[in-house]
Amino acid sequence: MGDGFVPNPGRSGVTRAAPAAYTECVSDVADAQDFSAAAETHLDDVYRYLLYVTANPSTAEDLTSETFERALGRWSSFDPRRGTAQTWLFQLARGAALDHFRAEERRRRREERVAEPDRVAEHELPDEYGPVLRQALRTLSGADREVIALRIVLELDAKTAARVLNISASACTTRLNRALERLEQKVRPRLVA
Amino acid sequence: MSPDLATALRAETPSAPDALRDRIAVITATPPAPRRTLSLRRVLMVAAPAAAAASLVAAVAVGVKAGVEDQAGHKATAPRALIPPQMLAPTAESGQLRMPRRAATPEAAKNAFAPPTAAPARKRAQDVRTSITLLVDDTNDLSATTQRALRITRNLGGYVQTVNFGSQTGEGTAALEVRIPVSRVQAAVVRFSELGRILAQQTQITDLQQRLDDLTRQIRRTGDPGRRAQLRHTRSELNRRAAYATLLLDLTTHEPQAKVVPPSRIDRAVDDAAGVLGAELAVIAYALIVASPFLVLLAAAFGGRRAYRRYSDLRLLERA
Repeated sequence: MGDGFVPNPGRSGVTRAAPAAYTECVSDVADAQDFSAAAETHLDDVYRYLLYVTANPSTAEDLTSETFERALGRWSSFDPRRGTAQTWLFQLARGAALDHFRAEERRRRREERVAEPDRVAEHELPDEYGPVLRQALRTLSGADREVIALRIVLELDAKTAARVLNISASACTTRLNRALERLEQKVRPRLVA
Repeated sequence: MSPDLATALRAETPSAPDALRDRIAVITATPPAPRRTLSLRRVLMVAAPAAAAASLVAAVAVGVKAGVEDQAGHKATAPRALIPPQMLAPTAESGQLRMPRRAATPEAAKNAFAPPTAAPARKRAQDVRTSITLLVDDTNDLSATTQRALRITRNLGGYVQTVNFGSQTGEGTAALEVRIPVSRVQAAVVRFSELGRILAQQTQITDLQQRLDDLTRQIRRTGDPGRRAQLRHTRSELNRRAAYATLLLDLTTHEPQAKVVPPSRIDRAVDDAAGVLGAELAVIAYALIVASPFLVLLAAAFGGRRAYRRYSDLRLLERA
């Protein structure tokens, strides 16, 4: 509404009812502000989640960008009554990550026909990442990292995390316990030391 | 899980780099797509009640229209055919009393009989005519009943004027016209009524006393012997009419058609509307029955696809 589009008061000075176009314009501006605020608030969470899922910072960045592009296009379908913007963004991020993995798998299959694929390069992390995270990203599967990211790092409750993972809350808890058990077996000696 | 591990994981997880923030800022600078005002759910929430209301309105409209047309049709074809001719005959003579009694249905006929409430007056000359229509079982019963009716007539001191008996292919009718002394006409009606199931009964009493009194006065006044003889003859004729009642007994083996009471306009409209609604429900039920196997297969395919997708996603993440 930055162009000075305001409703004209009538001759009597009584403000008439806002026209539909004005209401729509205000609604669009509010939506844009909502989306910007949601993106600003949840950017780090989405990036962290995707970093755990992909175990690759550059891929995580790309997928974060892809997630917010998707969110921009689908913002009109977001219904706050059905869940928070954070949950919705995580669902979009998960979809983007899965699409990425599928595409990668197809690409890998194509490459396998002609040469041995190089899988190690994907998990090479820079030194700025801490030892626990490096160990976690290196040794755990994507599914384990995903549930740890949601429940431990991002501190979502079981119900919300289960909704993102599209499974039941009890299944989410079970998956988390198994993932933590595997992680602890790997990193406990290092922590103790 | 140890708190140290959780703390370490949270502490070591980096935030989004500045380059990524810049990229996201570019994305968020673009206004999002306008919010759809008509979502599928909203359309369904409006369309479903609208469709139900439309079907209801259509049913009511069809019902009202059909009701009006039926009413016009009923007026054009009034059920005169169900009414016996004697009931429709106009009464020309003054002072006569008609007491039609009809039992259109067999159930009603069981309770229909009762002796005529207006019995002939004993002190006045009256012309009494009664007609009774009785249903008998078959032609054998028709013959036996006819004979019993003749015996009853003779026993009551009456006589038979005409008998018309006919039967054909298991069905038949008999029409008896008997004269019964007026003093015993009620007994005759009772006994005739016991011969079968009453389908219709009518009693017509015409007062003759006034005409007899007039004739008597004219006989006294007239001086012409020829005219007096003629008047006396007329008076004796009237006395004979008044002495005997005419009883028309119709016996038939034809089961009467149930009397169709034409429903009211509102009833017809409601019936037609209910019929249309019923037809609509039948069509929906038919469609559901036909489509249900496909719907079940579709739901199973959808559920299976979701489960497979979930499984494949998990496998994909486990390999990642």
